[in-house]
Amino acid sequence: MSGPIISLTGVTKHYGSFQALQPTDLDIQSGEFFSLLGPSGCGKTTLLRTIAGFETPSGGVVRIDGADMAGVPPNRRPTNLVFQSYAIFPHLSVAENVGFGLRRSTQSKAEKAAAVEEALGMVGLEGYGPRPTHAMSGGQRQRVALARALILKPKVLLLDEPLSALDKKLREQMQGELRRLQRQVGITFILVTHDQEEALIMSDRIAVMFEGQIAQLATPEALYRQPDTRQVADFIGVMNFLPAQFVDGSAEIAGLGRVDLPDNEDGSGVVGLRPETLQVLYDGADAPARIAEGDVVEVTYYGDMTYYDVRFDGADKPVTISMKNLAGRAVLERGARARVGWDPRALVVFRD
Amino acid sequence: MKGGGLRLYALIYLLFLYAPIILLPLFAFNSSSIIAFPLQGFTTEWFAELTGVEALHGALKNSLFVAVITAVFSTCLGMFAARAGVMHQFPGKGPIMGLIMLPLVLPEVIVAVSLLVVAINVLGIGLSLWTIIAAHTLICMPFSIAILNSAFQNLDASLEEAAVDLGESRWSSFRLVTLPLVMPGIIASTLIAFTISLDEFIIAFFLTGGEPTLPVYIWSLLRFPQRVPVVMALGTLLVAVSILLLTIAEFYRRRGVRRSGQQDHGGFL
Ligand SMILES: Nc1ncnc2c1ncn2[C@@H]1O[C@H](COP(=O)(O)OP(=O)(O)OP(=O)(O)O)[C@@H](O)[C@H]1O
Ligand SMILES: [Mg+2]
Repeated sequence: MSGPIISLTGVTKHYGSFQALQPTDLDIQSGEFFSLLGPSGCGKTTLLRTIAGFETPSGGVVRIDGADMAGVPPNRRPTNLVFQSYAIFPHLSVAENVGFGLRRSTQSKAEKAAAVEEALGMVGLEGYGPRPTHAMSGGQRQRVALARALILKPKVLLLDEPLSALDKKLREQMQGELRRLQRQVGITFILVTHDQEEALIMSDRIAVMFEGQIAQLATPEALYRQPDTRQVADFIGVMNFLPAQFVDGSAEIAGLGRVDLPDNEDGSGVVGLRPETLQVLYDGADAPARIAEGDVVEVTYYGDMTYYDVRFDGADKPVTISMKNLAGRAVLERGARARVGWDPRALVVFRD
Repeated sequence: MKGGGLRLYALIYLLFLYAPIILLPLFAFNSSSIIAFPLQGFTTEWFAELTGVEALHGALKNSLFVAVITAVFSTCLGMFAARAGVMHQFPGKGPIMGLIMLPLVLPEVIVAVSLLVVAINVLGIGLSLWTIIAAHTLICMPFSIAILNSAFQNLDASLEEAAVDLGESRWSSFRLVTLPLVMPGIIASTLIAFTISLDEFIIAFFLTGGEPTLPVYIWSLLRFPQRVPVVMALGTLLVAVSILLLTIAEFYRRRGVRRSGQQDHGGFL
């Protein structure tokens, strides 16, 4: 197998006395759909722009396809960037925007026009070439920006929150299209986003960043099931945290009782449970591994799902439980008693 | 009607401000050589007389020379300053930009006198049209910067980066993307600097050597009462040209704002 397409070794970035990037090591494989996920200000854009060449790292080495990129300006890197604002040239038509990167190529006029039309076709904008760009909708501008970057057939396409300006429906549609486009062209995509759902849906692998540092790098499933830290667990989806005491290979969990947890040193910490791993038990349901009882303190109805906040007897804070709304299954009322089934295998342990 | 009192006040205010200018064309077409009411009759004699004065043509040529070069200098320098101010961060930016904008509030007579001292006593270069150009560039630059600032502010900074990302060099990105988008601002700045320089009297009066500019020439005419109607005619033409140029400048400024798809944040007209 060939080496990684992008390889960062000990890359740092300072702005004056502020350190935007802690020493970062990162390998991204060719053909991967890779996401940088993190809250606002964590340094995602800085990392992306460092790869693109718009920021010079304060330390460390950036390699693209094995070549050291030190001193290589953005226009000579095999990367293209889709800007958050799209950066569509307002004085040029759609075709002129998409064909902008071909200005320096030696292709004939007809070849260039064909390449532009092909790129427009890839993003579903056939025939839009002669139109001015200022009349286009947000989704269309997004597609123009994509076509403009893809026409150069970069080794790596960098996308800085490309969907954050779109409304929910359009965003979900574009998520699917981006995924399809990436499979079709086979180019490595690096997506910056602060939307954990978007990252989970689209990525092969995700790097979760906090305060200039990669906290965890894993596949979406591993990230969701086995978050390394409480911070990551909290950022990805919903996680219930319950205080726990670990003694003699078992854990005493507030509200849930004692479970066997071998290979755990004595001490204190918390355990995490995802809302869907807990279930409210209705009469006649199969008896699950473990059962706890408590009061329903809040009911949130979503149509397909209902979220219950249940405070277990002996616990301080309620936990959130998500239940599918099946036909013939009643929705519990606030204040009702609930029997809740849970599975010790779903527990994630976070030691203090 | 709501705000009726204020409206009336505004009307009277504007009348007092601009009435003298309305008098210019009134007397320029009046057949009496004495500037007084009642008006006598209609004539274009004073305008005809303008065409025959040799010294006037010289002054006009001087003024155009000064105004054109001032407009170009002031716009070029203004563009550098505006681009740096809007798109880059550097130490001491606030004070530096403040210093550049200072001539806006500096009394012209002070600029004139100090430049006179510098030109003659310090540099010893004597007076010429170029000393006037230097001074006019100084006072026009804040206006150019103000106009170009809004042109650059309306510009998304990532546009130039996008062009670089797509393979162009820094300079060609500027030429291909930034320049066309700020062109309306450049035209507006050039026209306004041209107009300011063309009309400027105090500095030109102090710094003029043997070659008077148009306003200085007009001032010298005023000493001869029988020439006053000619001055009125000339003044009428100047006002007309100034209004025309400012209108064109504002047209381009607005078009620039519209082109970049931004909100209009006010202008000069
Ligand atoms: N040119 C700069 N000068 C100084 N500080 C900067 C500069 N660029 C970014 N920063 C700082 O570096 C940190 C990381 O910025 P960055 O833009 O990478 O964040 P981000 O994760 O992309 O956030 P967002 O989701 O808001 O875009 C922020 O605290 C920001 O204020
Ligand atoms: Mg960002």
